[in-house]
Amino acid sequence: MACLCPVKTLEGGSDIDNPDALAVEICSPVVSGLERIKPVDSKQAAHIIVQGLKKAGINFIATLPDLKVVEVIEAVDRDPQIKHVPLCREEEGVGICAGAYLTGKKTALLMQNGGLLNSCNGLTTTCLQFQIPILLLVYYAGDLGDRGFTTVGSVTEPVLQGLGIRTYVLRKSAEVEETLRGAQILAEDSKKPVAVLLTKSVLGVK
Amino acid sequence: MQRYDCLKTIAGEVGEALVVSAGLAAREWQALRPGDGNFRPRTLGLASSIALGIALGLPHRKVIAIDGDGAFLMNLCGLPTIAWQKPSNLVHLLFDNQCYEASGATVTATVSGADAVALAKGAGYTHACWVRDPEEFRAEFLQAWKRNELSFIAAKVEPGQPELPPIRVDELENKYRFIRYLEATEKRPILGAADHRPSS
Repeated sequence: MACLCPVKTLEGGSDIDNPDALAVEICSPVVSGLERIKPVDSKQAAHIIVQGLKKAGINFIATLPDLKVVEVIEAVDRDPQIKHVPLCREEEGVGICAGAYLTGKKTALLMQNGGLLNSCNGLTTTCLQFQIPILLLVYYAGDLGDRGFTTVGSVTEPVLQGLGIRTYVLRKSAEVEETLRGAQILAEDSKKPVAVLLTKSVLGVK
Repeated sequence: MQRYDCLKTIAGEVGEALVVSAGLAAREWQALRPGDGNFRPRTLGLASSIALGIALGLPHRKVIAIDGDGAFLMNLCGLPTIAWQKPSNLVHLLFDNQCYEASGATVTATVSGADAVALAKGAGYTHACWVRDPEEFRAEFLQAWKRNELSFIAAKVEPGQPELPPIRVDELENKYRFIRYLEATEKRPILGAADHRPSS
């Protein structure tokens, strides 16, 4: 789910180097221009993730932005080997990915964990009921050290567990490729969604 | 006019089109155009989104989404997404009986004037229209079929359907039959090998 705060250009650079202040700032009315708050390696992180997805065979991705995955979405959008479908609400992405799977596409749904909560009925009565896999790439807002999203963070893993969706938390860039490939194998083989929770450290953001 | 009166005017025209329909319409369509190219979702609202995924995955195949007003209203946010993708091979049908017919016939918001065609147009559908009777429905559908552009056709209908045989295929069988049908008609494998042996 996208942050709903109005975007406003940050004057000066007062809190850019202070991650704690920044975390608050991102979801306060004083939201900076995107370029100012992206750490320099987020582009590289996005490249690693998109290459990992392609090596896992993913060729169809539906997305809804969170500030932390903007670089990944842009990299997906630029990639000619991946069909990118931008969404208005995450649950429709479950349907779109399910339809694409029926035709032979290997699909992923990239969203924030609030969007995962938006998707629960579709995941249950389309993916689980029909045994349709999707690789769920979920930005883990409210994870360790994150401010402003602790409620959604606290229910994320219990909800996935309740749905019976196997879940892997990615914290190290070195593990991206292997985890994405492994998760996609599990999804295809079990014919169920598998969730990979993306943390700030693997997204190259603070 | 009921939904069935409209559907029967086009069932013989769609060939090997892939048809996604949920709820009561699914039984009618299966009776009118039997076969494995019919997919029957179980999530209220997602038929049009699933149809979009199929249409994007197989751009050379014709795809039809059949919505009711309850499903349509539940997935309004899916309309701009579909219009943004503009799949030229998708025809989106809406039968508006102004109630959640399969869930006890409580009225929906279309009873108070929510206009599905205006909503579709507002979402970015270029071709969207109301039809008043089965003949007009058939004529508009055939135009849309030939147009090869995303099209939306809506009809106000009375609730109810004729006596029809039940669907005996459950969700899993529906999925497998649909995929095997695509494999046969597309002449390529979709599902991987099931014997868990490395391919040579």
